[in-house]
Amino acid sequence: MRIPEYQTPELRRKNVRLAWILGGLALFFLVTSFPFWTGIFRIVGNQAMQ
Amino acid sequence: MSTTTLTHDEAHHHEAPKGWRRWLFSTNHKDIGTLYLLFALIMLFVGGASAMLIRMELFQPGIQLLDPDLYNNLVTNHALIMIFGAVMPAAAGLANWMIPMMIGAPDMALPRMNNLSFWILPAAATMLLLSFVVPFFPGGGTQINTGWTIYPPLSVQVGMSMDFLIFAIHLLGISSVLASINIIVTLLNMRAPGMKMLKMPMFCWTWLVTAFLLILVVPVLAGGVTMLLFDRHFGTSFFDAAGGGDPVLFQHLFWFFGHPEVYILLLPSIGVLSHVIPAFSRKPLFGYNSMVGAMIAVATIGMVVWAHHQYTIGMSLGAVTYFMIGTILISIPVGLMIFNFIATMWRGAMTFETPMLFAVGIVLMFTFGGLSGVMLAVVPADMQYHDSMFVVAHFHYVLMPGAVFGLFAGVFYWLPKWTGHMYDEKLGKLFFWTNVIGFNITFFPQHFLGLAGMPRRIVDYNVMFTEFNVISSVGAMIFGLSHLLLLYIVIKTIRGGKKAESRAWEGAKGLEWELDSPPAFHTWTVAPQIK
Amino acid sequence: MLQAGLLLLAGLLFHSAAKAEYGLNFPEPAAGVAQEIYDIHMLTMGIATVLLIIVFAIVFYSLYFHRKSRGYQADQNFHTSWFGHWSWVIVPVMVLGVDLTIAGKADIVLKKVWDVPKEENIMDVKVTGHQWWWEFDYLDHDIKVESRYIPEEQSGDLYLREVDNPLVLPTGVKIRFLHTSADVLHAFWVPELAVKKDAIPGYITETWAELNREGTFRGQCAELCGTWHSRMPIVVESVSQDKFTAWVDGQKAIKVAAAAEASADKTWSMDELMVKGKTLYETKCAACHQVTGMGLPPAFPALNGSVLTKGPIADHLNIVINGKEGTAMQPWGTLNDLEIAAIVTYERNAWDNKMGDVVQPADVKQAR
Repeated sequence: MRIPEYQTPELRRKNVRLAWILGGLALFFLVTSFPFWTGIFRIVGNQAMQ
Repeated sequence: MSTTTLTHDEAHHHEAPKGWRRWLFSTNHKDIGTLYLLFALIMLFVGGASAMLIRMELFQPGIQLLDPDLYNNLVTNHALIMIFGAVMPAAAGLANWMIPMMIGAPDMALPRMNNLSFWILPAAATMLLLSFVVPFFPGGGTQINTGWTIYPPLSVQVGMSMDFLIFAIHLLGISSVLASINIIVTLLNMRAPGMKMLKMPMFCWTWLVTAFLLILVVPVLAGGVTMLLFDRHFGTSFFDAAGGGDPVLFQHLFWFFGHPEVYILLLPSIGVLSHVIPAFSRKPLFGYNSMVGAMIAVATIGMVVWAHHQYTIGMSLGAVTYFMIGTILISIPVGLMIFNFIATMWRGAMTFETPMLFAVGIVLMFTFGGLSGVMLAVVPADMQYHDSMFVVAHFHYVLMPGAVFGLFAGVFYWLPKWTGHMYDEKLGKLFFWTNVIGFNITFFPQHFLGLAGMPRRIVDYNVMFTEFNVISSVGAMIFGLSHLLLLYIVIKTIRGGKKAESRAWEGAKGLEWELDSPPAFHTWTVAPQIK
Repeated sequence: MLQAGLLLLAGLLFHSAAKAEYGLNFPEPAAGVAQEIYDIHMLTMGIATVLLIIVFAIVFYSLYFHRKSRGYQADQNFHTSWFGHWSWVIVPVMVLGVDLTIAGKADIVLKKVWDVPKEENIMDVKVTGHQWWWEFDYLDHDIKVESRYIPEEQSGDLYLREVDNPLVLPTGVKIRFLHTSADVLHAFWVPELAVKKDAIPGYITETWAELNREGTFRGQCAELCGTWHSRMPIVVESVSQDKFTAWVDGQKAIKVAAAAEASADKTWSMDELMVKGKTLYETKCAACHQVTGMGLPPAFPALNGSVLTKGPIADHLNIVINGKEGTAMQPWGTLNDLEIAAIVTYERNAWDNKMGDVVQPADVKQAR
């Protein structure tokens, strides 16, 4: 896999760091989706019946 | 394979590697862009073939071609293939090709991850294909007869195909999240010196917003289908009332992803239009700043109105009122976008090459689809429209012009840049007219079917619905077959044709047009200076 | 083409608003709520059509006059004029005005639709969706109606819009529908009554309607519910209150007679059970297992020559009464002893099975 060296090490570090932050954001949304949704769900949920 | 022995200059000027290694190990944004576009083109035909089978079955009342489960499986596959296989990869292909060239960057920020995010796609497509094929083998279980929404409890009844589908969705999700991360990093870190955020080409802006949307919503879908998988195999009851869960929870999870997904499909095409319309009107985009603002507003509001897909589940009055008003308010930023496009055409010096024809078609037909969207947003009226053919007509009027025609416009607009050849303009126009006429014949009558009481996703219908279904099916054949013309035009343009100039269109503006057509394998190795 | 489409919309829809028989618009409403929904549908469609005409007119004007081939010079400063500077305010305000018009009207109707009356004399009908038939429980009258589609040979032009037992409802009475489901999601939709609602297993959702005219109104299940989603028609028979009372009495008499017959301490002959069993099988079982007994494998196994129908009677009774977990086979224990005896006898002797077994109601009683 040949990558032309157009990125300075500094830029490369910056890029990789931002990528990890965004990846972390995605993971955060994945793991919080369930508790978050059950909470929202109770609020929005089937209140029409009560 | 190490690059450390190469000097900078050698690395910049070496030619493309030969053979299959060039593609499998590619880290070049142009090659990966081409791979994405090819993949999307193949999937367009697979998804289109399933759509044509669906329409053939619906040509006449009665069950002629497909048994009901196969029919529903095709309905499911048509949606998933078109959304995840055709439109999203095509938009990602455009992004890969154009974003580095537009912002004056030598390549994407994370080239190896770029390679990974493409090559996950064929694996995911294989999974999807397996989910379709498995039921034909002994012990394969039932087919996926749930539609792309895979609502439980029905999706819990389905056989092992559903597990393949769940894993396919996971893979597709990983692929698009990785691609989104790459695009965001590229746009934020790799712009040429002097290119401020508010000087970025619109296409880059639309992709920035799209990529953020993807990162926020795709994991939620992944979470939802994972819970579904656990319900199916590991005895949990997230979605089973008998075990204390609720089937409706899945719908919320699904549509929290599903509604922003509409904007994910739509925005890249809006970006394309923001280049095509100014180019062929020969004047700058009207309202650049308001366009950026409108887009961010659409994405933000779009994240919080998901439940308008589920008005019939019995929510409280407060909840439905909120979702109704939120949904209606989306018309403000979307209306502003459409207005900006019309104002860009206004007092321009227009010519009507194929990309512009598609652009005008989008402005008109997307307005139509948007207005029927406002009708659907009104809760009491939606109690009638919901899950009828009216909805099918509506979202095809939004997604075909809004997403697919935008991609067609982009392909015709940039094809000269990519291949170095002009496409055959006469054939391009012929394609536009057959495509758009076929599209309207197919989907316009479905509004009437829905109002008259025909539910969607039924394999067989009463004779009272025959006339419009016949018209719709005939239109679908024209529409479907017209894409063969697209294939022919693309192949013909790749193989040869009139030499394209660097600036292939008279009114085209932007860094990508400063480069040769076709561009060198590595471009902007020295970043341009933006004034 | 686009112009033609526009004309079609503007012309046909408005022109045909009152002519429901063309199937271009909603059928004529038969309930107050449905009428209000119909009106707001016409309002939003009217607004949408007007906006569409305006947009099309502007675009086509521009397409015609502002083209290079007419020698028109592009106005490079259009976006920097006062209009270019302020349009981002003007346009949203105009759109907001339209939005508020629609939302204001919609909100009023929405409240009426959502506000299910809680009066004493309201009539409750519990609507239960099954794969693939409807069950209607008249809670106030202790009557249960099972409603299934009728095969094409018998229903002709009404195929997929006709059922064996319609939902009979009186006019002029507020009716509350309580929706639920026995298996997967379904949705109750009769356009004349307007309000569509999902049937969710384990939960109850409610809608209401007050019928204002007599007639037969047809609808279909509107939420994908599996293989035979297309075969779940709903037929509402709207009748006067007198006729409804008579119908209720008739149903009650039938019920009493059936109960008496089932509990009668009688030993039934093979022929009697086979005749009863055939009718019952074809209404209740044939949707999945097919009239031929061949089923639709793999989802719905064949009964003809199967291990079950040729095996021990006890196992056979057990599956019919209790269903089979993890499959689409639901428990049929709500049927009376005679009905189950007839079905099992039929299944064991029909087609190529010819087991020669006769299952008596007493056997069923014992098996429960």
